[in-house]
Amino acid sequence: MRKVAIVGTGLTKWGVRGATYKELVQETGKDLFDDVPNLDKKRVDSLFVGSALVDRLAFQAYPAPIVAEQLGLAPTRMAMRTEMACVSGQSAIRVAYASIASGLSDLAVVVGAEKMNIPSMPEIQASMACVLDREWDGVNGLNAPPYFALVAQRHMHEYGTTEEQLAEVSVKNHDYAATNPYAHFPKRVTREKVLGSAKIAPPLKLLDCSGITDGAAAVLMTHADAAKEYTDTPVFIEGLGQSLSGSLVVNLESLTTWLPLRRAASEAFRMAGVTIHDIDLAETHDCFTISEIMEYEDLGLCAKGDGGTFVMEGQSRIGGEFPTNLRGGLLGCGHPLGATGVAQAIEVTRQFKGQVPPERSVGGEWGLCHNLSGNANNHAVMILHRGG
Amino acid sequence: MGDLGEPQEVRFAFDFYPLQGPEHTRIWRFFQHLKEGRLTTTKCTACGVLLWQPRVVCPACNGDALEWVDLPPTGRLFAFTAVYAGAPLGLERDVPFVVAVVELDGSPVKVVARVDGATYEDLRIGDPVSLKVVELQDGRVWFRFFRVRR
Repeated sequence: MRKVAIVGTGLTKWGVRGATYKELVQETGKDLFDDVPNLDKKRVDSLFVGSALVDRLAFQAYPAPIVAEQLGLAPTRMAMRTEMACVSGQSAIRVAYASIASGLSDLAVVVGAEKMNIPSMPEIQASMACVLDREWDGVNGLNAPPYFALVAQRHMHEYGTTEEQLAEVSVKNHDYAATNPYAHFPKRVTREKVLGSAKIAPPLKLLDCSGITDGAAAVLMTHADAAKEYTDTPVFIEGLGQSLSGSLVVNLESLTTWLPLRRAASEAFRMAGVTIHDIDLAETHDCFTISEIMEYEDLGLCAKGDGGTFVMEGQSRIGGEFPTNLRGGLLGCGHPLGATGVAQAIEVTRQFKGQVPPERSVGGEWGLCHNLSGNANNHAVMILHRGG
Repeated sequence: MGDLGEPQEVRFAFDFYPLQGPEHTRIWRFFQHLKEGRLTTTKCTACGVLLWQPRVVCPACNGDALEWVDLPPTGRLFAFTAVYAGAPLGLERDVPFVVAVVELDGSPVKVVARVDGATYEDLRIGDPVSLKVVELQDGRVWFRFFRVRR
């Protein structure tokens, strides 16, 4: 197996964009190709596209050839779309890793892109409800906010987690989003504002939820021997883990303990040969405030049930034990499904390269990216290392 | 500008409710039972596994001899919320509505369902609920629960 590196990054502005799926792809491609001026696009032999709801929200199936044409690429070895709902982005990186490590590919572009905003909000929400089992869960009006509300209610019931603790996750992530010009919501919020925001699915309120956001992100990946052709500071993927268990809400192993996250993290750390205590910064999947609290717990940073205390103590801020979601997370940046996992890897890469604003710069040597999907039945964890 | 004769009303090809007759699904008896007021699922006659949702093949032993069994029509709230905003197409006029995980009495089976006759603020974890069958305009059926007074 060859070592695999991220050697270039590209982002678009995220938000409610007056831009189509294809235009978002062009924008992220420009940012990527500007970042790697030495790249000869003819040498890109593989393309992986992470897009979850493009069929429904852009009314476009089979996006890989469209993305290739928009970017001026003609991959000769591996090309595909990866679809794992909100994990579509990290899945694309994971498949690119496997293809490059095995020698099937040498140089790959990975794009995560999602056009979420269309004129009908009920149709957007219907598409999101289809991410759950449509016949037995979605049919009851369940989509992401009410599902994670059930999780939050049980977590509060079993462990005494409070709405103030949930709100603190949103406050922290908006604080960091305020440093991020790519973010959908680059504005600080107070705990009172989160607690007083509109009721969505109690106990979750508007500012406990990530936004419906358009955006794209892209990375260039290659093997270690070629990495220095494109950058002086490659970032190496040293560990990967993924675990999937269950589909129907009632058949999940647990609502309040994410066993697939524990398994995915364990596999990624084993592969990388490091532990959670070696991690300098993390991007975790804060689709809802309760998610980030459970991620501290199931990554092993604190005892089960103590995630609320962990955030209140500032342990997930810069200067704490585990700086988390410094680009602003899904709560601050929004969540264009397939783009999120790619943008998480870009934040870690740009942190390592000193390409983020000083207010949120931690540098560091080891980074963690965590992406989850559906009703948290699938988790993916990736460990990144600053090369050189 | 010319009139292209576009349809005045755009309808979903699918809605959220399953197609229910034997021409569409091999578990059509589930829907027939619901019309009789019974909530049912399948049990494997070879290995005895009882699963929600109804199946045509047992994922535990690969057997395909499954029998229909009745589930209790009463249960208790394991978790619940109410949808105030962000309801999917077709349900947006129903807000706010309560949706819950219901633990069926004396059964290992839990189901997700809407709960009628109560607001979020009215309810507590553990509250008793009872089965209710609802009929769609086109004759299809679905199940919800309603709150039983504590």
